Amino acid sequence: MTPPFGRVLVANRGEIALRVIRACHELGMEAVAVYSDADASAAHVRAADRAVRLGPPPAAESYLLIDEVVAAALSAGAEAVHPGYGFLSEREAFARAVEEAGLVWVGPPPAVIAALGDKLAARRIAREADVPHVPGTLEPATVDGPDQVAAVLAAGREVGFPLLVKAAAGGGGRGMRRVVSADELVLALLAGSREAASAFGDGSVYLEREILPARHIEVQLLGDAAGSVVAIGERDCSMQRRHQKLIEEAPAPGLGETERRRLHAMAVRMGSAAGLRNAATCEFLYDRDGAFWFLEVNTRLQVEHPVTELVAGLDIVVEQFHLAAGRPLSARALAAAEQAARPASHAIELRISAEDPARLFAPAPGLVTRWQMPSGPGIRVDTAVEAGDRIPSEYDPLIAKLIAHAEDRPAAIARLRRAVAEAEVGGIQTTLPFHRAMLDEPGFVDASELATTWVDAHWDGPRARAAAVRAAALAAGLAALAGDRQDGQGAAPSDAGTTGQPGGDGSAPEWRMGGRALSMDRWPG
Amino acid sequence: MSRPRVRPPTMITGPTDAGEPALRTPSTDARAVRIGVAPATRLEGDPAFTIAPPPEAGPGTSAAAAATAADGDPLLDGIPARARLHRFDGVRARLEEEGPAGSHRTAVLFGPVRVDRRRGTEVREVVVEGWRIEVELEPERRAVLRERARRGAGAASMGGPVEVRAIIPGRVVAVSVAPGDDVEAGQQILVVEAMKMQNELRSPREGSVERVGVAVGDTIDVGDLLVVIR
Repeated sequence: MTPPFGRVLVANRGEIALRVIRACHELGMEAVAVYSDADASAAHVRAADRAVRLGPPPAAESYLLIDEVVAAALSAGAEAVHPGYGFLSEREAFARAVEEAGLVWVGPPPAVIAALGDKLAARRIAREADVPHVPGTLEPATVDGPDQVAAVLAAGREVGFPLLVKAAAGGGGRGMRRVVSADELVLALLAGSREAASAFGDGSVYLEREILPARHIEVQLLGDAAGSVVAIGERDCSMQRRHQKLIEEAPAPGLGETERRRLHAMAVRMGSAAGLRNAATCEFLYDRDGAFWFLEVNTRLQVEHPVTELVAGLDIVVEQFHLAAGRPLSARALAAAEQAARPASHAIELRISAEDPARLFAPAPGLVTRWQMPSGPGIRVDTAVEAGDRIPSEYDPLIAKLIAHAEDRPAAIARLRRAVAEAEVGGIQTTLPFHRAMLDEPGFVDASELATTWVDAHWDGPRARAAAVRAAALAAGLAALAGDRQDGQGAAPSDAGTTGQPGGDGSAPEWRMGGRALSMDRWPG
Repeated sequence: MSRPRVRPPTMITGPTDAGEPALRTPSTDARAVRIGVAPATRLEGDPAFTIAPPPEAGPGTSAAAAATAADGDPLLDGIPARARLHRFDGVRARLEEEGPAGSHRTAVLFGPVRVDRRRGTEVREVVVEGWRIEVELEPERRAVLRERARRGAGAASMGGPVEVRAIIPGRVVAVSVAPGDDVEAGQQILVVEAMKMQNELRSPREGSVERVGVAVGDTIDVGDLLVVIR
């Protein structure tokens, strides 16, 4: 088959840019990278056939510059632009600018991005498509006058408390407020609206019932230019913390074939009603009574798309390129859709981020001194990091996706257990210890406690870390007593104020890689 | 995804000198080493350990300690620890421990060693089951002297200045206090944006702001002095 395009600009960085560039090369297309000064020698730049500098490290001065990215595509002779996820991927203005420059946008049309990016408009589309949306208002809730206040209070009582105030243009929890009683509603609306206005330039907020406990289940959709939309499988992304996903898997555990068909059909109705093309994801909450509630549609490639790829047996990015070139849904995509309600294998993804799970997942950027990722049967690692890289503080903390694929869920969990034990990361704290713990957590292992609230309710980072502190101290102490010196001959730190470490001034850590291997079966001397 | 997320208030302070281990019975062995968690990765309540080689039999050795010497077990906080460290190379090692529930093996990664001249300790990164912990080592005898000195100084000037330093790199997006301001424990001092999240830094204790070392827009690195609270 002829390549869909000759040359593609990838408007992103990190693992997703590399992943898209790989798909370009497998399709016989050239890839053009863009980069900020923080990424001049990054993996995605090295992998691309050419690269264009955008600006200084802050995203607002580089990866978020619509005009510069479009100019880069034009100057590099690209025919199409793939946005990845994050950055400009869901900005209607960017998609439109790409198309107006005569380039092909690899994603849903700008009008669809706009319609679904407005959460209220998306809820109205759901109502028209007979897809149950989370109960709440369908128009902005405003409190500018006494009449409106009375109306909002009535709407709040109808939705029921506790409820959520959410931003129509929202995402990532901004503008969101949890309201437990009518007394708090007006203040929460004002605060949420103010925050939404400053974050998105649009202060529209609305009310939504808080569905607890709930699982987050989303459906991967593909659509072609003729208007055909198919679902190729669903993912469970319930293990999250404050709306940031930590673990994702496909298929969603515990769903029966009938339930799965019903879910996929709702997502397809939603996609068709919105005029979806290319790839998107339709998100739902799944409550304890087995009901699905429409949440929102993401009009882009998702971070967690690999789990669906592994179970459905196709490459979603490759499909995106074919669809963007105007081709109909591929035989592979149609076969995957046919099989989607009867998944034959299981895949789980762990999002490894530069965050500290003992400090409320605070960001932990820094210099990666050691980086050894697992491999072997059924393991896929999507990353753009290597030892010696500095994880910049300007961008998202996601540094790798560790994905296991196996015949069923228990086998996938067993595979991940051995894989996380193979991982070696030094220099920065990552979320790996959280993932290690989850793989031994009974409520996760038997899927009985999957819920969006699980991590906040149950994860105790400092407690999980305590055994490691003891082991680290013991190991360091044993090494010191054994004479842990560069020449392998020394002794424990001396009584003198300084310990005579050559070059050890604290600013430029010296490495001690050359120490001889020594066994501590018996104490020396 | 491309917009800053707001993190709920998080107490991110340090490294301060809070959280020093409680006074302990010092080991009498001159070779004993004190091991704690270095300020950069310390959490409140992290313990410190004293590790000593197996006691040598001789005058002054207690019967209990002499008995352990036969096994060649090191003493961890004075108790024989059935622990061995197998080093594969300069980085990778395996800690083997015998416990009541059987033997336990833990993979260990050693990072580089550096010297913290301010604290006079050797600091090295140790990664255990994904947890990156910077441990600091110093001779037990010196640790005891230092603790005594600290206690003396603490008694003389209760509430001496606390230096609040950055434990994450990022950009200062808000400074909420100025020199001379009174602050309460837990009050917001400044906001640091890192990895698209806003991290609120709060005062570790009550006092008055003596100095503010950063301004809005500054890029900060780990260890930079942010404020001094007296």
